[in-house]
Amino acid sequence: MSQQEKPMKISKVLRQKAQEMLGSRKYANNLLDIMRHFDTGADTCPCILTLEMIFTSLLKSSEMFIEIVPLKPMERTAEIQYREWLKQIYEEAWNKMVHCLDHASPKVATQALASCMNIMAHEGRYPLEPRSSQEHYIPFYRLKPIVMKIIFNRQSSAHLINKFQEYLVYDDMLFATWKLLPSLTAKTNPNDVYIMNFLMLLEKLQLQQNTEGSILFSTEEGEHNFIYDENSARKSLNKVWNCVMLWEQGPVTLKQLLIVLLERVMPYLDKPLMLTDFLMDALDIGGPVSLLALQGLFTLIQSHNLDYPNIFAKLYSMFEPEIFHTKFKARLFYLSDMFLSSTHLPENMVAAFAKRLARLALIAPSEDIIIICMFIGNLILRHPGLKCMLNHPNGGSATNDPYIMEERDPVKSNAINSSLWEIQSLQNHVLPSVAMAARFINTPLPSVEWDITKVLDNSSDDIFDKEIKKNHKLIALAFDRPNGCFLNRGEIISQYWNF
Amino acid sequence: MVKVKNKKRNTAESVNDKKASKNKKVLNPFEVHINKEKIRVLGKKAKNDRGLPGVSRAKALQKRKNTILPEYKVQNKSNQFTDKRIGEKNRSLSADEKSIARYTAVRMNQHKKKSIYNLADDEVLTHKGQTLSEIEKFEDVPHSDDDDDEVDGQRNSGRLDSSFVEDAHFGGGMLKKADGAKSHKDLIEQLIMESKKRKAEMQKQKMANSDLTDKLDSEWKDLLPIVTNSNKKEEELAAAKVDDYDKVMRELKFEARGTPSDKLKTEDDIAKEEKDKLERLERERLERMKGNVFDAASTKIVHRSADDLDDNFAYDSDTPDVTLSYNDGKSNVPMEDEDKEEENENEDVEEEVEEEELETESEDDMSDLKEDEESSSEDEDIPIVEAKVLSKKESATKLINGKHKLDEPEEDETKRSKLDIKDPEKIKEDLMFRKEMMEEARKELPYTFALPENYEQLQELLKDKPSHHQSVIIERMIKCNHPSLKEGNKDELGHLFAYLLQHLSDICCDIEDCKDVKHCFDVFACMTPQFFDLAQLNPETSHRSLIEVFKEKQAEYRKKPTKFPTVEVLLYLKLGSCLFSTSDFRHLVVTPSLVFMEQMLTWCKAKTRANVAYGLFLVSLIAEYTTLSKRYSPASIKFLCGILHMAIPKVTVRQIKVLPPFKHISSSLVLAEQVETFDNPKLDVTDLIDVKDFDDAFRIKAINVSLGLLKYFHSNCQPLSSCPEIFETAFNYLSQLPKENYPESLSKSLNSFLETLDEGKNNRTLEYVVMEKKKPKALRLYEPNIVKIFDRKMHKSQSKEKAERDKLLHKIKKEKKGAIREIRRDKAFLGRVKINQKIQSDTVRKEKVKKIYAEAASQQCALNAMDRYNEVRSKKR
Repeated sequence: MSQQEKPMKISKVLRQKAQEMLGSRKYANNLLDIMRHFDTGADTCPCILTLEMIFTSLLKSSEMFIEIVPLKPMERTAEIQYREWLKQIYEEAWNKMVHCLDHASPKVATQALASCMNIMAHEGRYPLEPRSSQEHYIPFYRLKPIVMKIIFNRQSSAHLINKFQEYLVYDDMLFATWKLLPSLTAKTNPNDVYIMNFLMLLEKLQLQQNTEGSILFSTEEGEHNFIYDENSARKSLNKVWNCVMLWEQGPVTLKQLLIVLLERVMPYLDKPLMLTDFLMDALDIGGPVSLLALQGLFTLIQSHNLDYPNIFAKLYSMFEPEIFHTKFKARLFYLSDMFLSSTHLPENMVAAFAKRLARLALIAPSEDIIIICMFIGNLILRHPGLKCMLNHPNGGSATNDPYIMEERDPVKSNAINSSLWEIQSLQNHVLPSVAMAARFINTPLPSVEWDITKVLDNSSDDIFDKEIKKNHKLIALAFDRPNGCFLNRGEIISQYWNF
Repeated sequence: MVKVKNKKRNTAESVNDKKASKNKKVLNPFEVHINKEKIRVLGKKAKNDRGLPGVSRAKALQKRKNTILPEYKVQNKSNQFTDKRIGEKNRSLSADEKSIARYTAVRMNQHKKKSIYNLADDEVLTHKGQTLSEIEKFEDVPHSDDDDDEVDGQRNSGRLDSSFVEDAHFGGGMLKKADGAKSHKDLIEQLIMESKKRKAEMQKQKMANSDLTDKLDSEWKDLLPIVTNSNKKEEELAAAKVDDYDKVMRELKFEARGTPSDKLKTEDDIAKEEKDKLERLERERLERMKGNVFDAASTKIVHRSADDLDDNFAYDSDTPDVTLSYNDGKSNVPMEDEDKEEENENEDVEEEVEEEELETESEDDMSDLKEDEESSSEDEDIPIVEAKVLSKKESATKLINGKHKLDEPEEDETKRSKLDIKDPEKIKEDLMFRKEMMEEARKELPYTFALPENYEQLQELLKDKPSHHQSVIIERMIKCNHPSLKEGNKDELGHLFAYLLQHLSDICCDIEDCKDVKHCFDVFACMTPQFFDLAQLNPETSHRSLIEVFKEKQAEYRKKPTKFPTVEVLLYLKLGSCLFSTSDFRHLVVTPSLVFMEQMLTWCKAKTRANVAYGLFLVSLIAEYTTLSKRYSPASIKFLCGILHMAIPKVTVRQIKVLPPFKHISSSLVLAEQVETFDNPKLDVTDLIDVKDFDDAFRIKAINVSLGLLKYFHSNCQPLSSCPEIFETAFNYLSQLPKENYPESLSKSLNSFLETLDEGKNNRTLEYVVMEKKKPKALRLYEPNIVKIFDRKMHKSQSKEKAERDKLLHKIKKEKKGAIREIRRDKAFLGRVKINQKIQSDTVRKEKVKKIYAEAASQQCALNAMDRYNEVRSKKR
């Protein structure tokens, strides 16, 4: 009870003190009290809030403004002295608040960030020193420590970055961040936390101007003369990226790097072909990383005329049973659908893909089997030569599957001489939706391809929901009355379990 | 003489008919008018080339005169006289002839059809103007009581007596009057007095009479019993005398006859009905198992020629085309061998039937008696055996249809028999024990239970009761509140089902140690038959509530998809397999629960002992679900592979790959040392919540169960073409297991399974996938339009009905035109008649006026003449 009341009380007291201090200069020493309380480390949040309130209103009323007239010695009036004192405290408080960004509690850290940004915004609107009104004023010296703190944090600063993202809708903030970034990029190998923070921040930064075009450091009337310079932002991006590419990457950061690269950076790089080596190295790592690298390569091939000799073999090697348990399987299916969309590919290679997918379907989770069935169907639709896998020209029988699963080169896997027995077997799958999906090989193929994108994100939960929603009139009951919990026929449980 | 009996005779047709005969006269050439023909067509029949305008006009006129004219004349008249007397209008007949004609008519009338058989009705005999039948009625005219003694004139009530009348009415002469000095007034008074006295007397007598009658009646009533008794005795005596024949006959006559439907069913009949029912259900189940959609694909057409006309003419290609030929005196077609084979088969089947019988006997104890009787009756009742053989045959064909390899049933059999050796004994004991417990419970508990209104009531009722007591309570509750007893009971039982589910979940909620789990499963085992009954009584509600439970549990699981849910989920899933037909292709309850189980097996992490046990329970549940449908579940095989992987010692640097959620390095099930024996091959339900770490006993059990389940799945999947691929991983893992550490029996079965897998991989025949051949579509043929006879006219090609209709329409049009013309002519005719009448009446009037004028003129003339005469005379004077 008392614990709950305490912060309430303190925040009230702090607020009261601040009000008094703002009300008249008599209580100027209240500020010192607050600072002292802040130093104790207790009640950081209310202190930050109080300081934010004090300084924003001081900035608004220009009480810290000191006019410097050139060629005129500074007068030592009491007023100026007071102002200088205020300014000194302000700097002190600012440093402390920025320091709070490192705070272990994410709540405090986020609050500190919000307060800092707010104060900075006010300073931008009401500068401490006289400025010419022509150019747009951005207090870089305030922003830099903030961003630095975010990136050089001891722990992952995802929460801060998320908060910071809220300010990136302002064009001038975005631009300032881009301007700052090159100076903050490490030239040598940084640690993993830094890389992760940096990449996360980079993921949030967009290069193009926001559509709303709102400005953070504008006067209250909304006047500003800020112009977003996309070219210079782009230059900074390239600069930053050149540094980033020099870093040594761990497996986790590499994945993040590739995601950022694919989603943010790639389209704006000056020489994307420089990435080829990097992507090819990443491709050999295997797992999700190589999948992402593959996507990058695909972009290069598609829009930059890269010629990569063995890309299909790489794609082929990516179809491993483990892929179904990663987050990237939808991406893989999407990508391979794109890769194999050309109708000019050799048939035996496409057949190898179909056959491999069919093999994987034997052990895949049910939702993936449905995707695979559609995928194979689409492949056969695109390459009518593959129909021999569904409908063998001569019939007959074989003693063994001609397809060689272990062969790494799809062309040599001899899949075209095989048949899709796996799909046939899957017609006996225990789930009716899967069994129905596998029945496509019994009927003539449709003229239009199946739409894979619709089912890519399906999960087994969706299948469950669908089955629940199915409305059947008939409720088929068992007709053997069980004795105890043993069925008269088909009792398996009691064979393996003691009750 | 025209009979006006029939109005129809007066119409136009009749007149026309009459005249028709007259028209057959030779045509008068002056009356004939020849119609000129403009274009002459050869072979055309000319109907209207000549006509008789004058004659036909006269004919029409005559007709109108006979028809419309009389109608016109009687118009606006409400009635008319028709003289029906025979010969009255005929002047040529004399009076005698008329009477003769009338008499004949009467006689003729009597001989009409109606009265032809009334032989006696010819003449009615009369007497004094009354018919004899009337006289002979002999009706008893009712006499009033007052008139009873009418004979006595003195006492005649209404009337005055003669002496009085004599005196009073006629005076009686002067002499008599002198005697009596009675005045008129006295006389009247006397008269009144007398009549009153008489009336009173009569009244009195009447009363006495009625009293007497009453007395007589009562006395008769007293006597009545004596009289009847005596009668009865006589009758009894007579009955005793009835001879045996009559008795037997009467007995036969009155013997109660049963209706055919009431025929008592013998045990055999009941058993047979039961069997038929089961067979029907089984057939339906199989249909559902295949899935409705699949039917079209699965019913393969064996052979279709391109010339097939789709007329269901089947070319019997199954029978081999062997032409009969003789080689060394032997025909190449086996003639009797086949029959022999069939017989053999039958024998086999019979044996199998017997085997099965035995099995069922041993398996379910409850129906022991019935089965025994059935098997004893088997020897006598051949038809039943035959039916059984047939059914067995069906199942055999079913097996073959299901693409089973030939060795499969054998294996099945061996497996079964193996099971039979081990399990039934135990199960039997268990069941017997349970039965005894139930009996005890039955004795202890009250016989009726009301249905609980809410869950709390049920909870109260079942609280702290042992499981068999709970079972009996529910059983009685169901029996007392059977839907057939009361209207709303069905819904109430549906609620009971939901409450019981809740009860189950509540028991499972507070599972803390092994004892609780055992208790929980015990309660579940006891309740399952009750659940089954409830589900049978109200399938809709029960399936809905079970689905709701699944939905809820799945939603809970969804929050943490890598963790196995609580034990109760297993119970619900097991319940699903007990209550519903698990083999359906798609089922409202079974399919979602299968999806749920697959999900759990695919995503949940098996780290601890409880997790492994939970997963294995799920796999065995899936095995149970797919027992009949033999479907393939990748998730369960994957899970079993993961369990096997956990048992492989990871000594080498080389990683053995395993699919997530299993870890590459996990080796908690590895059996480090050699274990000689293992006493308990089955897992315990207590393992499901055991928090202990893995021990050797559990490791062996887990591997044993996994191996058993793998074998089971393998036998199910064997007909699938990619069976070896499915079991490839399992094969790899199995061969890497440290076999030497396992007990001998286990390692032996492991080796044998490995051999089977290897064999299956090496000796397999893969039929290439071939799509079903489609019948080529025939080109559409256009038939030439051939017209039989060309007659210049373009006949519209239209349907018969349409042609008929057109013809009729044309006729109507023609008739309408004709009718309008006729009406117009009728009107003209009537107009003529009217004008004639007018003219006639005018002339008559003119005549009259003329006559009057003439008379007046002559009168005037006479007057004038007289005037003139008078003038002359006066002048003369």
